[in-house]
Amino acid sequence: MKLIAATLALLLPLATFAQDQNQEESWKPASAESNAYREYRLKMTTPPYGLAKVKGLIKKNTAYMEDVTIMSSKDYMSLTLREKFTYHMINPESYSQNCDVEPPIQDEHKKVFGHLPDNYAELNWSERQRDFLQANRDSVMEIIKESANRSKRIGLNYKMALVEIKAVEMVPFLVEFFKRDHKDLDILTVLMEFMAETKYEPFVKSVSYTKLYSKNSTYNAYLLFNQANEDLIIQRAMGMYNAAN
Amino acid sequence: MIFSLLISLFLPDTSFVQVPTGNYWVGAKGHALNPAREVHVDAYAIGATEVTNQQFAEFVAATHYVTDAERLHNAMVFEPGLKEFRWLEDSTACWRYPNGVSRGGVDDKMQHPVTTISYNDAQAYCEWAQVRLPSFEEWEIASRAGARTTYFWGEDSRKIGRYANIWHAHDHLEPDGSDGYMYTAPVASFQPNRWGLYDMYGNVFEFCEGHLKEEKTVHARGGSWWCSQHSCHYFNSVDIGRVHRRASFSNQGFRVVKK
Repeated sequence: MKLIAATLALLLPLATFAQDQNQEESWKPASAESNAYREYRLKMTTPPYGLAKVKGLIKKNTAYMEDVTIMSSKDYMSLTLREKFTYHMINPESYSQNCDVEPPIQDEHKKVFGHLPDNYAELNWSERQRDFLQANRDSVMEIIKESANRSKRIGLNYKMALVEIKAVEMVPFLVEFFKRDHKDLDILTVLMEFMAETKYEPFVKSVSYTKLYSKNSTYNAYLLFNQANEDLIIQRAMGMYNAAN
Repeated sequence: MIFSLLISLFLPDTSFVQVPTGNYWVGAKGHALNPAREVHVDAYAIGATEVTNQQFAEFVAATHYVTDAERLHNAMVFEPGLKEFRWLEDSTACWRYPNGVSRGGVDDKMQHPVTTISYNDAQAYCEWAQVRLPSFEEWEIASRAGARTTYFWGEDSRKIGRYANIWHAHDHLEPDGSDGYMYTAPVASFQPNRWGLYDMYGNVFEFCEGHLKEEKTVHARGGSWWCSQHSCHYFNSVDIGRVHRRASFSNQGFRVVKK
C-alpha cells in the first residue's frame, strides 16, 4: 500500500489556501425552446391496458417491498399480456446508477443524438422485464403501434423498449410516424440505434457512425438535425429494413 | 510538505486527514445541483482512504449485520460484455462476493474498498464505528484539496490515470485492465491529492450524507472503476451521482468522517 505516512494537518483556512486560479467549468443555461424540447423528449407513454388493475397491484406490492416495487410472481402471473406490458412500461423494478444532472444541452431541439436519454431515474427494467419484451416482441411492437397511433406520440419508454428488442420491423412505421410532425428527433435516434446494433454495414462505414458510435465518440454525441441528415438516416434505415425482409 | 510531514510525526492516527474550520469554494458556475459558492464548514477529519473489506468484515464479525444485498438478493454486478450503463442482477452477490460468487470473493482483497453495499449498509457501519458519512460539501472540499477546478490538479482530464482507478476503454464490451485493475484496486494504489487523500476519484462511488430530492434517492460522488471518459465521467469534484438507497452496486463504497 502506497499510503504515505503523513496525515496532512490542514491548519489554515481558505483565506490563506493557494487555490488554483484556473477558470471554473461554466454551465451555460439552455434556451427556453431547448428546455421545452428536453421536457418533451423525456415524456413517457402510459399504456391504457388494465391500468387501474396494474396500479392497484403496484401499490399493494410497494407496501410489501418498502419502496422498491417488484410485483410478486403470483400477482404478475395474474396479468394478461397487455397488462404485463403496462406494468413494465410504468414500473421498472430494478436499479440503475445515474449521473444526477447533466450540463444543459444547448439547442437540444436541433440535435439527433446517438443514444436515447434515460428517464427512469434510479430505476431500470429488471431481467424479468427485459425477458418479457424479448419473448413477446411481436406483441410488444403491435401494442406500441396501436398505443402510439392513439396518443399521437411514442413515449421515451416505448422507444427504449423498441431499442431493447431491436425492432427493425418497425422501421417503416417509425419513418412514417416521424414524418407526421418532424418533432420527435429521438425517432431518428432509434433508427440509428437499430443500425448500430445490427452492424448494418452501410451505416457502420459512414461518417455518422464514426461520430456517434466509434472509439472516439462520447455517449452524448449527436448529429445536427437538417434535411440532409434526416434523409440519410431514413434512407439507410429503410435500406436496412429492406435488406432484412 | 516538510511542515506536513513534521506534523504527521506527532499524529497518532494516520488514517484520517484533518480539515480545519473555514470557508471553502465548492460547485461550478451554473451547475444545476452544485452551483459555485463559498461555504463555511466546521473542522472535520475525513478518511484518507475508502473503507476496506477488512474494516467492513470487522463490523460484520462484531454485529452479525446482514446487508441489504444479502437480505434482498438484489445486487447489481458487472462483467465485460454489457452495454453502456447496463448492470446484471445477481442474487449471489454481496460484499463478500462483490460481482457474484462465480466472479470470486474478497478473501485476497481485504485492502480493497468494500462494495456491493447499500446506503443503508454504509449507515449501519457508521453507527457501529462511531463515524459518519461526509456531507456533500465535506466530500467536495476534501476532494478539491484547495483547488477550484473540476479536478484537484486543474482541468486536464487526461491526468486522471495517475490518481484514479477508472475504466480506460471506450465501452464495456471487453475487459479493461490497462491500469492494472478491472474492478476495484486496493485503496491508495494511486497517487493522493495534495492533502493526502487517496481515491477521491475513481475506485468506488462514495456515498454522501443527505438527499437532494426524494428521500429514497441517495447520492454518491467521485466516480468509480466502471466510469470512463466516454460514459459517466463523474470522476471529478463537481458532479453528483444518484442511486436508490437500497441498491447495492459493485462500484459503490464509502469513506467516513469522524464524529
